[in-house]
Amino acid sequence: MNVQYRPIVPSIKRFKIFVIKIVFIVLGRAFQSASQHDEEIKKEISSWRDGFTLIMKVMPDGPYMGLEKKNNMLEFKGSQLKQADLEIYFRNVESAFMIMTPQMGSHQAFAERRMSIKGDLGIATAFTRALVIVMSLLYPEFIVKRLVKRVPPLTLKRAGLRVWLYTFGIVLAR
Amino acid sequence: MLPSYYEFHNPVKIISGNKALDNLPSELEILGAKRPMVVTDKGVAGAGLVKIFIDSFGSSGMTIGAIFDDVPPDSSSEVVEKITSIFRQNKCDSIVALGGGSVIDTAKGVNILVTENSDDLLKFSGAEVLKKKMKPLVVIPTTSGTGSEVTVVAVISDVKRNLKMPFASTYLLPDIALLDPRMTLTLPPKMTAATAMDAMCHAVESYINLQKNPMSDAYAVAAIEMIRKNVLKAVSDGNNAQVRLAMANASTMAGIAFSNSMVGVVHALGHAAGGICHIPHGVAMNIFLPFGLEYNLPKCRENIGKLLLPLAGAEVYARTPESRRAEQTINHIVELRKALNDLCGLPINLKQAGVTEDKLSEIAQAAINDPSIVMNPREMDANDALAILKKAFE
Ligand SMILES: [Fe+2]
Repeated sequence: MNVQYRPIVPSIKRFKIFVIKIVFIVLGRAFQSASQHDEEIKKEISSWRDGFTLIMKVMPDGPYMGLEKKNNMLEFKGSQLKQADLEIYFRNVESAFMIMTPQMGSHQAFAERRMSIKGDLGIATAFTRALVIVMSLLYPEFIVKRLVKRVPPLTLKRAGLRVWLYTFGIVLAR
Repeated sequence: MLPSYYEFHNPVKIISGNKALDNLPSELEILGAKRPMVVTDKGVAGAGLVKIFIDSFGSSGMTIGAIFDDVPPDSSSEVVEKITSIFRQNKCDSIVALGGGSVIDTAKGVNILVTENSDDLLKFSGAEVLKKKMKPLVVIPTTSGTGSEVTVVAVISDVKRNLKMPFASTYLLPDIALLDPRMTLTLPPKMTAATAMDAMCHAVESYINLQKNPMSDAYAVAAIEMIRKNVLKAVSDGNNAQVRLAMANASTMAGIAFSNSMVGVVHALGHAAGGICHIPHGVAMNIFLPFGLEYNLPKCRENIGKLLLPLAGAEVYARTPESRRAEQTINHIVELRKALNDLCGLPINLKQAGVTEDKLSEIAQAAINDPSIVMNPREMDANDALAILKKAFE
């Protein structure tokens, strides 16, 4: 029998990439909104220089989620930024899907090397803390509890911010 | 417990034992190197170790490209640039680091610049920025503690821009870690004790933190047991080559453990205190270790308890009920500190180390931005850090 050998091009994981893109948009807008209202997040980003950029990127070439520090807040840049001062990589689509859906917290993701960092590690540490706060605003406590080492306190102000995020914050990114 | 997923990587060849140094020329040849540049410091040279090093190249047919023996105690980018230009002028093709943490980090920095053919280290700072296989690098530690001979990291300060540049990349791993007992014989008692406690912290923190895995656990446990059996002898009888070699091995094993599973709050606090009050790293490790364990106790009691076996031996471990093992582990570390303090005056609190109380909140703030806390089992905020610092003060 005559066997034909051909190169195999694996299919694209359209569904998972689509979900990651949606979560990136929600997360980016939530960051932009929360960075204007949450005192802890404001404190974390206060020492970053104006114009500081960061991206989350799924290896090898996207999706992307970019943020830029401008006027003491984080501005969501969508997928415009392909390079930044601080780059947070997801090793592949599977890892990004697991972390973004959110089945795995960032500490575990770092421990399992599903996430890695290029840039200033001190700022990355501060960003990870800010990310925990945004996650705790987006998801109910029983989910957040599984993802983080310590659930950030849900102050009255944060409870209000959560309502704001889900009504106008994410839509308007304000 | 087996983690759901982990990675472990250690490609460094370990060469350990009597006259190990004399095998270096043939090892360099295997790596394709013909003109090594030696990076070391005045202390190492003054102790006669450079002479032993040169002698070991006798009749080997190999030329030592250059020897730079003026690395300061804190590795700086200026020195890295200076050594890089000497490396180029003398057409060297490989690097041998002969020294402690600062010398090793400096050598790693030089390797970045000569490999990337650049003069600006800052461009390569950060995690996973480096993309090229580097020149052959052999590390011969003259202290037993940092573990830098088997780690993926280096820290070099940029004096002009006033910042500390961290580098982390698998390419920074040396090709060879060479442990020759002659190289640590002259280390003074206090330095011996401080660096030993650094190694102890590497092993302990790697064993209790979030990135621990069965491979790093094995190295950590073996390192702790070897430190327990040898550290007091190494401090009181520095001329004992067997004991010195055991400490070098323990330090390297602890280095392999933490290079693969990272450290935790003890190191975060130590880096912060070192940066602000210039406490030597090993001294800070000795001060913070029991408090760091106590802080993590609610999150990893079982793992801390398991450390009693390598730390105290089978008899004590078997005699101690499971519910008391974690506390006993901490007690043993406190007792070890006391013994070292009696032997050589190694400080056991911040006050003894020359820290003033007004610096504590600044240290706490720096500690929570130190990347070491990411893998710590318990989330430390500035208030927690300050509470630990107050306990460790006097
Ligand atoms: Fe250390």
